[in-house]
Amino acid sequence: MNTLKKLLNSIIWPWSPASNREAGDAVVKNVALHWFPAKVSLKSLSWGYSFWLGTITFSLFMLLALGGVILMFLYVPSVERAYQSIKDLEFVVSFGYFLRSFHRIAAHLMVIMAFLHMMRTFLTGAYKNGSAPNTNRPGNWILGVILLVLTLGLSFTGYLLPWDQLAFWAITVGTNIASAVPFVGDSIRELLLGGTIIGQSTLIRFYVLHCFFLPAILLGIAFWHMWRVRKDGGLAVMEQYHQSAKNSAMVEPVKTKSYSLMGIAKGTSVHVHNSTILNEENSVASSPNLIRRIWTVFLITFVITSILALAFPAPLEEAANPLVTPNPAKAPWYFLWLQEIVTDTTIHIGDFVINGALIGGVIIPSLVLLGLIIWPWLDKSGPEAVGVWFASSRRKHNIIFLILVLVIIIFTIIGTVMRGPNWNFYWPWEAWPEMPTKI
Amino acid sequence: MSSNNESRRSVLGKISAGLIGLGLFGQIGAYFRSLVPNVLYEPPTKFKIGMPEDFSEGVKFIEDKRIYIFKERNNFYAISAVCTHLGCTVKHSPYSQPKEVEIKGQIKTTSGEFRCPCHGSIFHGDGTTKEGPAPKALVWHPLELAPEDGQLVVDVALAVDNEFRLSV
Repeated sequence: MNTLKKLLNSIIWPWSPASNREAGDAVVKNVALHWFPAKVSLKSLSWGYSFWLGTITFSLFMLLALGGVILMFLYVPSVERAYQSIKDLEFVVSFGYFLRSFHRIAAHLMVIMAFLHMMRTFLTGAYKNGSAPNTNRPGNWILGVILLVLTLGLSFTGYLLPWDQLAFWAITVGTNIASAVPFVGDSIRELLLGGTIIGQSTLIRFYVLHCFFLPAILLGIAFWHMWRVRKDGGLAVMEQYHQSAKNSAMVEPVKTKSYSLMGIAKGTSVHVHNSTILNEENSVASSPNLIRRIWTVFLITFVITSILALAFPAPLEEAANPLVTPNPAKAPWYFLWLQEIVTDTTIHIGDFVINGALIGGVIIPSLVLLGLIIWPWLDKSGPEAVGVWFASSRRKHNIIFLILVLVIIIFTIIGTVMRGPNWNFYWPWEAWPEMPTKI
Repeated sequence: MSSNNESRRSVLGKISAGLIGLGLFGQIGAYFRSLVPNVLYEPPTKFKIGMPEDFSEGVKFIEDKRIYIFKERNNFYAISAVCTHLGCTVKHSPYSQPKEVEIKGQIKTTSGEFRCPCHGSIFHGDGTTKEGPAPKALVWHPLELAPEDGQLVVDVALAVDNEFRLSV
């Protein structure tokens, strides 16, 4: 019995260690816990600072990956059978409707949570370096922007797979936006479609991108993203400890470690300095405190997604029909702000016309992404604004950002509920006219 | 002597690295090239749509080819149903009776207009843009008669101007 207990402990390592020593050992000796720092600050652990949005986003990704692999057993990526296999999933396979609905809801939530995570990071100024040495938060912010784009790419490629009307026409619009890129647009479109029309080669391309390439790239960058947080000494709120340590009249504490990692990394790691900042009052052992919170967040995410999946079954339109465009034909909701922009931005100057697809579909989104990427270098506020909600020295930045977010939300709402047949504007309380489904 | 050995080693090292790089580059190049199709198994762009006498006066939508065929007495012309904005299929909504409209300074008689369901573009009856985001007029495709059986033939890979008429 004792041997069995010992064996078990050597594999899973107790999450309720008896002493600080044991807690530290757990993190060093256990492969899974090795991810985490030995000690974590109370501010990083708090619910109200980060809302754990990044953890929620990654939990959703893991749930999507797990459920997605199961769905791969049940889905056939061929134009003749794709729609039928989704129908089977919905009406024949045991719990198939739940698997599909769960995957869809988790994907929607992942887009929302990644976006909220970005908002949180922006509004707390967490993309900035402060006074702590060897941090690279701007670099990690760029990784985050790339992860958001990959999340949207995964949603877009997943959209085609059911091969229903919604799928077919969303991809028609999306790939035609790609062809509005100057000079190489048509080549990009043909590379995406595997031909000049949406067909079997398009479906298999999107399937492989959706099931392998994009998740693999996203997973790699997500690991990098989380590793960077660790290397930056924890969440940006750690800067506040540095600030208060600087401002206090206390004697500079003795550095407990002053060595560098010889030949592996230059200089001392940020933890060497943090070890002088974290103490008994402001930090706790990661095992069990951090691990318990991560499991809690994961379980809450899991439960809420499950409930939503039961409450909102995934819709399935008619089978894809290249001959009939639904009226109105709408992209998924998180792209409707773009669809709204491509509608509004065609410019006529006499006979000279610039296609809205180029301005709204290519130039504006590229500028938004570029703006996000360079923003950390535009923000000149001091280290006191790092890791603080709505810091007064960053008010201007937060206002510009919130206006941008508001515009995107308004355009999304207009595109979602106020655009009826022929993309005409209707107030929500106005009835849409009856439109024939066929000409 | 020892410096000679050193330089030989470094030269061989560079050659090896170059060869590995070339091999990897070639391999990755092959991956990408394989994704550009050499043969497209797509429907032909030139096809028959039926005998001219089977068309009645006015407009007919050839659904599976996404094309509108117009017959005005013995004149035929074809307008693509693919919206020039983002490729949705436009719908022809006929006026209750033919109207005279001013299109680019000219008065033309048209029987209706085209509307796109995706982003709300509207085209005049001859395909020129009227409203909405579409940047260009709908494409006109050439029509001809098949020499062997006299059917109308459309080629959607080609474009003609909007003065085109096939008289039968």
